[in-house]
Amino acid sequence: MGWRGHLTRLWAYGSMVLVAGVVVFLFAFVFYEGSSVISWEFLTQAPRGAVLGEEGGIWPAIAGSLCFTATAVVLGGIPAIATALFLVFYCRRRRVSGLIRLVVQCISGIPSIVLGLFAYSFLVRDLQWGRCILSAGVALGIMILPFIEVRAEKAFRELPVQMVRSSYALGCSRAYTIWKIVLPACRGELVSGIILGGCYAMGATAPMIFTGAVAYAGVPSSVMEPAMALPLHLYLLVAQGATSMDTAYGTAFVMMAILLVSNLLATIYARRSQRKWKRV
Amino acid sequence: MGRRLDHVWSAAVYLLTALAVLALAFVLYFIVHEALPTFQEVSLADFLLGQRWMPVDYTGETAFGIFNFIAATLYVSVVAMVLALAVGLGAAIFLSCVAGERGRSILYPFVDLLAGIPSVVYGFIGLVVLVKIFLRAGVHTGSCVLAAGILLAIMLLPYLVSACSESILRAREQYLPAAEAMGISRWHVVATILLPASWKNILLSMVLAIGRAMGETMAVMMVIGNANLFPTLLGKSESIAAVIALEMGTAVVDSTHYHALYAAGLVLLMLLVIINVGIGVLREKVLR
Repeated sequence: MGWRGHLTRLWAYGSMVLVAGVVVFLFAFVFYEGSSVISWEFLTQAPRGAVLGEEGGIWPAIAGSLCFTATAVVLGGIPAIATALFLVFYCRRRRVSGLIRLVVQCISGIPSIVLGLFAYSFLVRDLQWGRCILSAGVALGIMILPFIEVRAEKAFRELPVQMVRSSYALGCSRAYTIWKIVLPACRGELVSGIILGGCYAMGATAPMIFTGAVAYAGVPSSVMEPAMALPLHLYLLVAQGATSMDTAYGTAFVMMAILLVSNLLATIYARRSQRKWKRV
Repeated sequence: MGRRLDHVWSAAVYLLTALAVLALAFVLYFIVHEALPTFQEVSLADFLLGQRWMPVDYTGETAFGIFNFIAATLYVSVVAMVLALAVGLGAAIFLSCVAGERGRSILYPFVDLLAGIPSVVYGFIGLVVLVKIFLRAGVHTGSCVLAAGILLAIMLLPYLVSACSESILRAREQYLPAAEAMGISRWHVVATILLPASWKNILLSMVLAIGRAMGETMAVMMVIGNANLFPTLLGKSESIAAVIALEMGTAVVDSTHYHALYAAGLVLLMLLVIINVGIGVLREKVLR
């Protein structure tokens, strides 16, 4: 084995150890520093203190984040899956599908901050919705639309063609085929795509700074109200400096825990249900 | 299912698709529309190449030059790319050539965990860990381009690792059995055959990763220092996305400042679209 081989081996092992180390470090660091802050009060109370958030809890931020995420998933997920269905099962003209793909690709290239800018100018200002969950939800929904569309389209295309063709051959309509064959068979991928898209929306700060997330608000009661959000709360706690650092660790802990658990659930669910229909 | 329901369903799919595509197209139109008034005040050349950014006239004339921001955005992305490639490619080699099928099925989701961490958490950790290290090492205030580059590199790792290891795996299936039959050691094969063979695909995933890096806002903004300076490795700077995030809240609606921020966003968008479309063209050429 020449020196190049030795060098490559060293590189491969070294890098893998480094990457694994980084992953472990990031999670261990946040969980270690944050675990002392977590308590029932922290999870269920509103933030308080002279510097907002240095005392009290983060419940309004958790509730707000869930509202933002739910709005985004509804507004982004349904059109995304419809677009994927259209591209795979309805669209016959290549030029139309090419155009749709181009637009979706352009949108997936838009940095999230520019989407926030758009929602701020158009929804908050021009349409006078004001800063509210709906405005931010639209921005987040547009952000995750390409994300979910790509995954859904991939799932539909990976479906064995004979399943769909057999259904057509038996005289079933397209709608019936989609409801009874396509959607159930792709359920795992669709659900996991939506969950991952939701995680993506939940962690994003940039699209909601100007559009719906605020430094302090109660638990929202309608989508036309502003709300707190975990990522913005974390950012503000960090920006305020030293005295709110402890609760910042706690907030990061909660966010990472939510994302980790939903990621795991999504992965497991996708694998489970995929195995199910491959066995058939 | 009745025929009428059938029609309703199909109509719903058509309608929702049209809605989605029109909404997306409208976003693009709106951004361009809001950006264009900038160029009635500032010439395109001044905007792209000017180094002074004075959006409000407190202390003299306003100026709208985003050259430093563009440079910083590209600089940070390239630094992040180089760092991520140095480590990510190594890890990809490990995953594709050392770890077996089982190892991969555990390690892929493990590395993918990095993709799930929100960028504001990256920024936070960067601030309390990286910036402190740089401060101790003698960098003023600790915020610098390199810190942002390292953070971004970690954020890029999951994409780069999975893309690279996939293309190396493909090359491995093609070449390794023959090479091993000839008695060449596995690592020599990796270094001299597999890497050169998958180089083109690795290049593609690099470009894609650079695109991701350029649009990143929060993590970069929190550790780069945010000063309008030409980027140097250990100096402060400010990326396009950071300028927008920091100044949009205070920009007067319909002022040149406001439109200039949109124009900055448009420049960022154009850079990304060029990269994305370029990849599409490149991929068709490389893979055929």
